[in-house]
Amino acid sequence: MKKRLTGVAIVAPLLLAQPLQAADNSVIHFALNQDIRSSQPGVNRDGNTDDVLMHVVEGLVGYREDGTVGPMLAAGWKVSDAGKTYTFTLRDGVKFHNGDPVTSNDVVWSWQHWTAPKTQWRCLREFDGSGLIHVTSVSAPDAKTVVMKLEKPVALFLDSLARTDCGAAAVISPKSVDANGKWIKPIGTGPFSFGTWKHGEYVSLMRFADYASLPGKPNGFVGGKKALVDEVRFMAVPDAATVKAGLSSGAIEVAQVSPIDASDLKKDANIGIEVAANAQRHGLLIQTNDPLLKNVKLRQAIASALDTQQIALGTSQGMATPSNSNISTASAFYTAVEKQGYRYDPTQTARLLKAAGYHGQTIEIIANKRSTVPSFDMAIIAQAMLQAAGINAKVTTMEWATQLERYQSGRYQMMAFTYSARFNPALAFEQIVGDKTKQTRKVWGDPQAIKLTDSLAYMDDKSQIQTTVDALHKQMIEQVPLIVFYPGLDIVAHRKNISGYKAWLAAAVRLWNVSKA
Amino acid sequence: MLQFLFARIMAAIPTLLLVTVLVFLLTRLVPGDPALLMLGDMATESSLADLRHSMGLDQGLLQQFLIWFGQVLHGNFGQSIQTGQAVLPLILQRFGVTLSVVLAAIVIASLLAVPAGMLAAWKQNSKWDIGLVMFSTFLLSIPSFWMGLLILLTLGLSLGWLPVVGYVSVTDNLQQGVLYLLMPVLTLVLVEIGALVRMMRASTLEVLRLDYVSHARAKGLRERTVLSRHVFPNAFGPTWTLIGLTLGNLLSGVAVTETVFSLPGLGRLLVDSIYARDYPVIQGCMLFIATLYVLTNLVIDALYPLFNPRVSA
Repeated sequence: MKKRLTGVAIVAPLLLAQPLQAADNSVIHFALNQDIRSSQPGVNRDGNTDDVLMHVVEGLVGYREDGTVGPMLAAGWKVSDAGKTYTFTLRDGVKFHNGDPVTSNDVVWSWQHWTAPKTQWRCLREFDGSGLIHVTSVSAPDAKTVVMKLEKPVALFLDSLARTDCGAAAVISPKSVDANGKWIKPIGTGPFSFGTWKHGEYVSLMRFADYASLPGKPNGFVGGKKALVDEVRFMAVPDAATVKAGLSSGAIEVAQVSPIDASDLKKDANIGIEVAANAQRHGLLIQTNDPLLKNVKLRQAIASALDTQQIALGTSQGMATPSNSNISTASAFYTAVEKQGYRYDPTQTARLLKAAGYHGQTIEIIANKRSTVPSFDMAIIAQAMLQAAGINAKVTTMEWATQLERYQSGRYQMMAFTYSARFNPALAFEQIVGDKTKQTRKVWGDPQAIKLTDSLAYMDDKSQIQTTVDALHKQMIEQVPLIVFYPGLDIVAHRKNISGYKAWLAAAVRLWNVSKA
Repeated sequence: MLQFLFARIMAAIPTLLLVTVLVFLLTRLVPGDPALLMLGDMATESSLADLRHSMGLDQGLLQQFLIWFGQVLHGNFGQSIQTGQAVLPLILQRFGVTLSVVLAAIVIASLLAVPAGMLAAWKQNSKWDIGLVMFSTFLLSIPSFWMGLLILLTLGLSLGWLPVVGYVSVTDNLQQGVLYLLMPVLTLVLVEIGALVRMMRASTLEVLRLDYVSHARAKGLRERTVLSRHVFPNAFGPTWTLIGLTLGNLLSGVAVTETVFSLPGLGRLLVDSIYARDYPVIQGCMLFIATLYVLTNLVIDALYPLFNPRVSA
């Protein structure tokens, strides 16, 4: 009797669990480290929110695989009036998820929706003249044409339109909001439509059968797109160990993982790993206004005391391509010049420290322990290397929100930091360069660097951009306002029955053109 | 009894008021704010100012507190900055998940720990006693996240008996819901049972040494009767209090267990809200938890006379 009861106790869960183990080839389960923030692209958002919603919505333009901008809902565009007028022609046959055809009036409505202050679109200030770009009017002269006029020509305009944190300035159906203008859900044009969102659990997207794909191969956010499964389910799984267990068990089929977890998962015969450099940048920021660190000789001493290659390889489990450039190694603007970086030279360090008049004062490196970035690891290794070179570095660990507040206010000496992805060099340098008296978050306040960075925004000639980027890079290495160790890594673990998944520059999830056997 | 309950409820009001003020102030004193977190490293001065204004964070602290407190008095805990959901329904929804795990765990843990503790005390210094004490000490020494991961890797991954990731509410699908709750419940049972066994053993040992127990045995009562009628009621009191405190603690959220098993419970909601500086949710959760703690202990105190005849209502 006892044996029988034990048998029942063991078998019962097995029987109950049967439906859970059954493979469903029409659904892909993707693990997000936390739930999305909202269903409004570019409004209340974070990286996870962008990842999910970029399957649902599309803009007039989008980023290609190499970070340049290509047409998405627009078949093409013409620039006239000395760069102040952009005339977009819409593609034929594009429909919203509710079946309505996309017209130029929808583009105008969408623009008005995003730029209405009550929408709280995070990129409103990018286009209202607060920054470089001022869109003065958007009109629809006919059903297929949209005209956007700028106050002055800014070459960065299309890049700004394509930004994923701006939701690619999505073209959405007016039926995405109710009669009172209240948001319901995104009715976009993407290969998947917005399905069910169970807060704290998952959000599911459903295949859009009438999706009008661009011709050709997949290419970043543009190019050929096809939903190959009926549903993609983004599950909120906050614990990295649980994600690993989920991948091993098959409950999760795809997930972005850390380098250390990827190393572990490589041992599992059922799991494949995809790695690509993205447009994030991991490194150490140096406060050039600090009484001690404003001395360029000391900053150069710090740079020469750090074996940046070792830091890059050590904190990425050997997966990273070390680079001191502010431009990703995957960028079209990453050339031989950008490959030149800091040289590890302890002898030079001693000489520079003497020249700087350094006498062992403590230098604090702020770091955080978020699992998604190598901040703490970079800081600890840098601390050891600096101490070995006679620099009294000390790591202080902070919670991310606290560190971010210090970054924003400029209250730090050094900080192990990860910059979010920027594909366009003008935007990548804009993140770090600026007048520090006006914007305390800026890292590099050199007037010449500011001038060069500002000029990038108005350039559309590739060779001219390259020359300016090269000049900025050389100047950055000379002045050491920050030390980049390597571009971020998009590391994706997937079950071997998943095919077609590609990691890429944007570190953004793309589950179109992905199938499940 | 009613007078006792009324007095306890009245006494709880200043506690809850103090909690509201402290929680409000502490969340605002911590560096970083939700607008900054939302904009991240790309926050320009103007976009940050816009967002702070739209969230009401540019108002004075006192004004912010009065607005929030006024809303709370009307049963409105505000809206989550992160998701825009109304805070009170969000808390209640998440609390339902926590409640289902915690209640099951505490009932099972108590049903196992009380007889085990009594057995250990009754058979003091025997193999049973040594074994139970060692086992409960072992369980006490294991952190909940490690226990959770061990169970997850064993029952979920190696044996494949139970689902590793996800959650289904028991109200949506009872069978599936129970399956998803088994591992978190087992984790909590194992984490909490050690302390309960030790407490029950200690209090039983104390009672067993009392004269009236020797007297009862001398009268020729059967050992079972001595234990159930004379020892248990007197020995159970401290364990009952511990069960109450444990229940209060667990209901406040079992963030670690919820994180390991991807359960959308109250603890995870609170932790996520703290990281995101989602002030309305943090404040709402803390007020809810404080109220819950007070109420749980009130119920435990009210039921105390049922188990301990020396305490009258």
